[in-house]
Amino acid sequence: MSCTVRIPSPLRSYTAGAGTVAGAGGTVAEVLSDLERRFSGIRFRMVDEQNRIRPHIRLYVGTSEVKALSEPVGSGATVHVICALSGG
Amino acid sequence: MALSAAELARYHRHLALPEWGAAGQERLRNARALVVGAGGLGSPAALYLAAAGVGTLGLLDCDRVELSNLQRQVLFATADVGRPKVEAARERLLALNPEIAVRAHALTLRADNVLETLRDYDLVLDGTDRLATRYLVNDACVLLGKPLVSAAIHRFEGHAMTYLPGRGPCYRCLFPEAEEGAVASCAEAGVLGVLPGVLGAIQATEAIKILAGIGEPLLGRLAIYDALELRLLELPVSRRADCAVCGGNPTITAPQDAAQACDEAALRAINRLSAAALRELLGSEGRETTLVLIDVREPREFDTRHLQGACNIPLAQLERRLGELAGGAMPVFLCRSGRRSLAACALAARAGVASPAHLEGGLLAWAAEIDPDFEVAAG
Repeated sequence: MSCTVRIPSPLRSYTAGAGTVAGAGGTVAEVLSDLERRFSGIRFRMVDEQNRIRPHIRLYVGTSEVKALSEPVGSGATVHVICALSGG
Repeated sequence: MALSAAELARYHRHLALPEWGAAGQERLRNARALVVGAGGLGSPAALYLAAAGVGTLGLLDCDRVELSNLQRQVLFATADVGRPKVEAARERLLALNPEIAVRAHALTLRADNVLETLRDYDLVLDGTDRLATRYLVNDACVLLGKPLVSAAIHRFEGHAMTYLPGRGPCYRCLFPEAEEGAVASCAEAGVLGVLPGVLGAIQATEAIKILAGIGEPLLGRLAIYDALELRLLELPVSRRADCAVCGGNPTITAPQDAAQACDEAALRAINRLSAAALRELLGSEGRETTLVLIDVREPREFDTRHLQGACNIPLAQLERRLGELAGGAMPVFLCRSGRRSLAACALAARAGVASPAHLEGGLLAWAAEIDPDFEVAAG
């Protein structure tokens, strides 16, 4: 299944500056793995070694916050990756 | 006290709003708001709060105006370069509106002064550029029951959210924790100059609404602004039952400095070198300890001038490049002021690097104490 992934500003160095990229997978975990295949290193910025979403990252499918990587991603959905920003 | 003739004239366009009226303007005149950080966000926020007639406006910042600030920090003029920010800002705000009082706080917020500093205000706007200060201000606002209007920026993206204690999530509910260094600062990553103008104006809007008692606050909703695509996205944020400061069983019951909040074992492992101590180490012939100098500034800063033999690993890349550190050598992290190098040290120590060191006071200290010709690029 295909989806759209919104990339936050601090992670756009992995996507050559793209703010929106296509994703594939039926779950959040699969979508992140798909991103990792194309943008090496990006997954580790969002998820730690224990597969926990990092505390300065939030993931949404549509407007629903993702609590577990096993949550489904419907075809055509938008996955939002939100990263804490520090600038003032 | 009723509005004076001068105030009636000054605030006429507010008074013409049926939702506002004299009562709204008087509420604003009696209000006290504190702007933490007189930077890109604090500049437009403070200007609009002053123009709107917030009776007492506090500004908190310990920095001086730098030339590189003027691309976005619209409170300041070229002639202000080198002056304390809060002093220059106070003059500018009083020139805009002499009807208000402006308090200048030229200090760094810490656990031991944050409660007394915030206590006198009705509302706080957070526009700081340090994650540790964001958490400190959030925690203090929760503990004091103060409304907090927060915003943050990075390159072309900005976030804004309002926290009303007891009525919705706090900043720790949004992001339970974030390490300094996990997120690049504007000095490292750059920022579109007009971006904080949009986010700072949103902060001022929220503050004015809350203080005047009108509208619906940006509560439990994170506003995400993308300047490149001119999108404003809104995502829901819920209160976390396990939030460390506003949850059911809080573990933070008093403000904590970042050092306290970090892994203390990791911090104990850090060697803090003065500029003189580093020079001595570098000059020791046949020294037993091999040093490797790692400059964690951005390449632009590194290229301006760096210590001989230093390699460049920007802080944002350090976590994934830790493997490049030679085993057996003592890494000495360097940056402009010592802030990023301390974060690098903590990151390295937590990753198991033995005895990382950093130059306290950064290359600015090196230039001041060792080599006056050493040019340190602006952050």
